[in-house]
Amino acid sequence: MASLPAPVRGVFPVLLAVGVLGGLQVVVGQLPFFVYLSSLVGVNVILAVSLNIVNGMTGQFSIGHAGFMAVGAYVGGKLALEMKDLAIAGIPHGVSDQLQLLASLALGGVAAGVAGFLVGLPSLRLRGDYLAIVTLGFGEMIRVIVSNLEVFGRALGLSGIPQTSSFMMIWLCVFVVVLVARRIQDSAHGRSLLAIREDEVAAEAMGVDTTAYKVRAFVISSFFAGVAGALFAHFVPIINPGSFTFVKSIEVVTMVVAGGLGSISGSIVAAVVLTLLPEVLRSLFLQVGGLEGGAALAQKVDQIRMPVYGILLVILMLSRPQGVFGNRELWDAFPRWWGRGWRAEE
Amino acid sequence: MSTPLLQAQGVAIHFGGLKALSGFDLDIHPADLKGLIGPNGAGKTTAFNVLTGVYLPTAGTVRVAGEVVNGLKPHQINRLGLARTFQNIRLFKTLTALDNVRVACLSDTYAFFSRARIEAARRRSSKRSGAAAAMVALNNYVDWWRALLLTPGFQREERALTVKADALLDVMGLLHRRDEEARNLPYGEQRRLEIARALATGPRVLLLDEPAAGMNTREKADLMVLIRELRTRFSLGILVIEHDMKLVMGICEEITVLDYGETIARGNPERVRADPKVIEAYLGDSYLAAQGMRVPGGAG
Repeated sequence: MASLPAPVRGVFPVLLAVGVLGGLQVVVGQLPFFVYLSSLVGVNVILAVSLNIVNGMTGQFSIGHAGFMAVGAYVGGKLALEMKDLAIAGIPHGVSDQLQLLASLALGGVAAGVAGFLVGLPSLRLRGDYLAIVTLGFGEMIRVIVSNLEVFGRALGLSGIPQTSSFMMIWLCVFVVVLVARRIQDSAHGRSLLAIREDEVAAEAMGVDTTAYKVRAFVISSFFAGVAGALFAHFVPIINPGSFTFVKSIEVVTMVVAGGLGSISGSIVAAVVLTLLPEVLRSLFLQVGGLEGGAALAQKVDQIRMPVYGILLVILMLSRPQGVFGNRELWDAFPRWWGRGWRAEE
Repeated sequence: MSTPLLQAQGVAIHFGGLKALSGFDLDIHPADLKGLIGPNGAGKTTAFNVLTGVYLPTAGTVRVAGEVVNGLKPHQINRLGLARTFQNIRLFKTLTALDNVRVACLSDTYAFFSRARIEAARRRSSKRSGAAAAMVALNNYVDWWRALLLTPGFQREERALTVKADALLDVMGLLHRRDEEARNLPYGEQRRLEIARALATGPRVLLLDEPAAGMNTREKADLMVLIRELRTRFSLGILVIEHDMKLVMGICEEITVLDYGETIARGNPERVRADPKVIEAYLGDSYLAAQGMRVPGGAG
């Protein structure tokens, strides 16, 4: 990498990812079920990794992530609906779709980021359980507001959003959020966030503007939650307030805690496993139990998911309270290949 | 005489009816080495907390380098050149020794406007400066993007920080612990790491809250030498809270004695040691009576 011109080096991984994912897109584009599953996984990975920036790195317990996801989904979805009949002239249809998708992701993300700023500014002066309650309240507030607004279709939600999300775009977003989280972790900013997690009083005494840092972490985190929400809106047939309840927030918190607070790779692995588990069980039951019995069983999977999560979490907290990965990273095990980014070049 | 680096005038703090500190005066000039002593609960750490902005004083003013800092947040006061350590060690436990120090090096990582320029803007306007705030905000914004885009300038800065932090670890004799988590360090080294961390913020005044607590005699002796050395090396003003009389008497030029929040004595070690009020505060009046008011040799 040392031979690359300096300005390109920072964004080179993203360009590389665009290429690789573009190639993969051609391969997997024909497998709708795989694409759907990987989209679900991707969205949850984005949610978990972004929540990890606040809950894991900064040590602030936020449990309203679904609220920010909702902001992104609705704002992005609304924009997509407005742009539905438009296409950018002179380029292939598919590319134009993806550019429009990108625009609605950006808008959804920014809207959620703004919401994060507005919520974070007053509430991040609070600590621990108080912050948790405020974020919980915010999440529910968003849901109630949305289900009472005509523009967002009240309780019916938004339907007819163009299903333009693609394998490539989703995993590109995953790649970007992971890259961002890693680079934050490796920078002076990330160290300040970790310092706040470890000891807020000491961090403040060492010149870290703790409130400002917490708000920034919160904004970045909610931005990506918004992006995840907007992506979500582009591959499910309908979004309604029911998709963004407290249960969704808890699901994401479960992923972060199970993976290990502060461990990016832990969040990724936990998000993948906890998303696939119910899906795999469901299709397994369908296969095993035949059509009728199987369908009944498969339905049950959804119902028993939360109790199972609860039990899993209890077991995990008893046996390994720091989460599966603790605050370690998967890539620390392969320092040669993954390195610590640029530090390897020293 | 020049403006003191740190000055407290008539500082008082009351918690409800409790007068934790009253009428507290203090001057710290460059290369001063002063001590603050007193029995348990006398208000020593409270005084530190008021000086560093953790508590807002009920009365009186605190000035850092001539600027009134009442009501500023601890991190802002730290930026003006006041750093501290904590009585009950407050390291960033799961961070490495190096990262503990690098967190505090943060003050040097300004991207757009220099620290001096922001300070100038702040000084020009008397109270809250919109320009300074905007510059800080822009700095931070650009700085985040530099980190996310991994610009060459950012990488240079990170390397410079690491070099600086390494140097400080070396000064404090902790280089061999560089990559160990702070919580795994032995007690004495944790105390020294706290000092290294405080020094990394580039202070002009250093407040040490019981730096020798829990150390053995030999570690204490080493620490005394080290504190003196730091003063000359970084031309710091240093204020030490200490229970160990020998240490305080050995290194401080002036000692302030607190009891129930009141300053009961001030002066050079010999004078303070001989002051009946100090002896009374430490040993009780019955002791004085039994000794027939005879002044004992040591007050510890």
